[in-house]
Amino acid sequence: MNNGQPILTVDHLVATFDTDAGRVRAVDQVSFSLKAGTILGLVGESGCGKSVTALSIMRLLPRPAGVIESGAIRLNGVDLVQLAPDEMHRIRGRRIGMIFQEPMTALNPVHRIGQQLVEVFDLHRPDLDAVQRYQAAVALLSRVGIPEARARMDEYPHQISGGMRQRVMIAMALAGKPDVLIADEPTTALDVTIQAQILELILDLQKETGMAVLFITHALGVIAQICQEVAVMYAGWIVESAPAAALFKKPLHPYTQGLLASMPRLSSENKSVLPIIRGTVPSLHQLPPGCRFQNRCPHVMDRCGKETPGPVAVDDDHWARCFLLEG
Amino acid sequence: MTAYFIRRFLLIVPTFLGITILIFVITRFVPGGPIERIIAQAQQQALEGGSAAVSETVQRQPLSDDQIELLKKYYGFDKPVLVSYVSWLGKLVRGDLGISTRYYDPVWAMIRERIPISLYFGLLTLIATYGVCIPLGIAKAIRHKSAFDDASSVLVFVGYAIPGWVAGILMILVFASHWEIFPLGELVGENFDTMSLWEKALDLAWHSMLPLTAYLIGAFSFMTFLMKNTLMDNLAADYVRTAMAKGLTFRRAVFGHALRNSMIPIATTFGNNISVILSGSFLVEKVFNIDGMGLLGYESVVERDYPVVMGVLAISSILFLVGNILSDMCVAAVDPRVKFE
Repeated sequence: MNNGQPILTVDHLVATFDTDAGRVRAVDQVSFSLKAGTILGLVGESGCGKSVTALSIMRLLPRPAGVIESGAIRLNGVDLVQLAPDEMHRIRGRRIGMIFQEPMTALNPVHRIGQQLVEVFDLHRPDLDAVQRYQAAVALLSRVGIPEARARMDEYPHQISGGMRQRVMIAMALAGKPDVLIADEPTTALDVTIQAQILELILDLQKETGMAVLFITHALGVIAQICQEVAVMYAGWIVESAPAAALFKKPLHPYTQGLLASMPRLSSENKSVLPIIRGTVPSLHQLPPGCRFQNRCPHVMDRCGKETPGPVAVDDDHWARCFLLEG
Repeated sequence: MTAYFIRRFLLIVPTFLGITILIFVITRFVPGGPIERIIAQAQQQALEGGSAAVSETVQRQPLSDDQIELLKKYYGFDKPVLVSYVSWLGKLVRGDLGISTRYYDPVWAMIRERIPISLYFGLLTLIATYGVCIPLGIAKAIRHKSAFDDASSVLVFVGYAIPGWVAGILMILVFASHWEIFPLGELVGENFDTMSLWEKALDLAWHSMLPLTAYLIGAFSFMTFLMKNTLMDNLAADYVRTAMAKGLTFRRAVFGHALRNSMIPIATTFGNNISVILSGSFLVEKVFNIDGMGLLGYESVVERDYPVVMGVLAISSILFLVGNILSDMCVAAVDPRVKFE
């Protein structure tokens, strides 16, 4: 697989949810591409559509409320949106693995860890016999940093810590040797020290296997640590997309600028006021016409309330949805 | 865990004593009872005797004080209540439940005679409830809000809303009286003893059809909805999404992952099914003229047949207490997180 070639391309994805208050577009015209062997960070605050994007790629939106309304999700050129459920089962776990946010609830409480891990080998490695599957599972547990892996195989999820459970989740996501790993806030529920260990583990494994990673987070610090590319989401839109270095050096969208400005810095004066982005995210039920960031934007213009800003490319792979850039 | 269950079994003893003392004391102090019944009978006889010499004293009190003392002694009412209780308990430990004060039969023999009827209906109800409710609950959870789900909900709720004995009377009117498809009552036909084994089985099944339906009609709702709701909760759980993300089909995620978790609430009452040995519904038995445990228990209370009341109570409370422990064992068996310390 050639590094740098897009392996997963999301093209004008629209995902909607039916709620009591009507249908909302949780993800609206989202496009990005994940290049083989790289890590793409998808960053944004709670409810901006990050997880819905991830679940859309897995075709695991909660049914019947969540629906992919339009758009394409191409994995090596194959549109996952068009696949029959049967065919999708061969993609999940085998071609795309996924790690979830909550290690406490994402494992089945009544099955042993070994059983849950071996299940992935049962599904995707028919070439191995039962003993080999067991051995592969033990080896993988050791690889993700679980001590005494053989003993852990017989334990239940409640018997190990949150960090260990997330390692088990990672092992399960990688057992099918997927080309793409989707990590949906894998460190959010963990202690800070454990977060660092898990990040390092994901980074190591990515380098080792050469897989592409879609890393979803709300923490810009994490993005800076591990991602080559970044897409910033706001209220269902991707508002800015750029290589990580370019984004941190020269953020284009006022939202990205606000996010970066609101990060505490060691260089800033002690006990000074931390800049914030004023206002709140508009409800998906009542999105304003035009730009979705207008009510919080320090540079808001008349035009922002009338027209919808399209992506404006400033560099080859750096674009943002803002009229300021058209100038 | 073993220590926990040993402790639980030992706790049966004080709980059992508490239940039985309470009821024993109540039986001693409520009005009615064998002596008053005999007095009433004597009054009746005296009146029917029609003797002109019936004095007013006889009308009020046909028995002399000596006779009453004798009766009290006979029934054990001459001793203080706790002394009587201890002697009842002493006999119980030796397996003697006493003699019915109404039929003068050994209580244990009366209960034992009805156990096959209880077991027969109890086991059939049990098998039918679990056999219908669990698959139905699963199907309803998977097809939530479909036409099938709505229609079966209506059926189950209508069944729940109709008391079993009302359904019994309706069924007798329609199927036994109007169309004469099923018998009016009783558990077996008149010439049961002369039938071959196959005919006996058919006859029993034919007679059981209506009463069994009456027993069952309200039984489905609780278990069906318990199954449906817990399974739906589990289908929405994160670990089912994880299972799907691994590449499992929805079907395998349901049956391989969600189902066992959904069995935990079902298991919390499973051990109590041991009580089928003494099960019975007085009203259904009355409607279908079946001489089962429900009828025995009810009549023993109405007739103040205290040895029978205490006998039924003793056995059913032991079954209930043991059933609770069995239920705990079932929960521990399906849920590895449960650790009894």
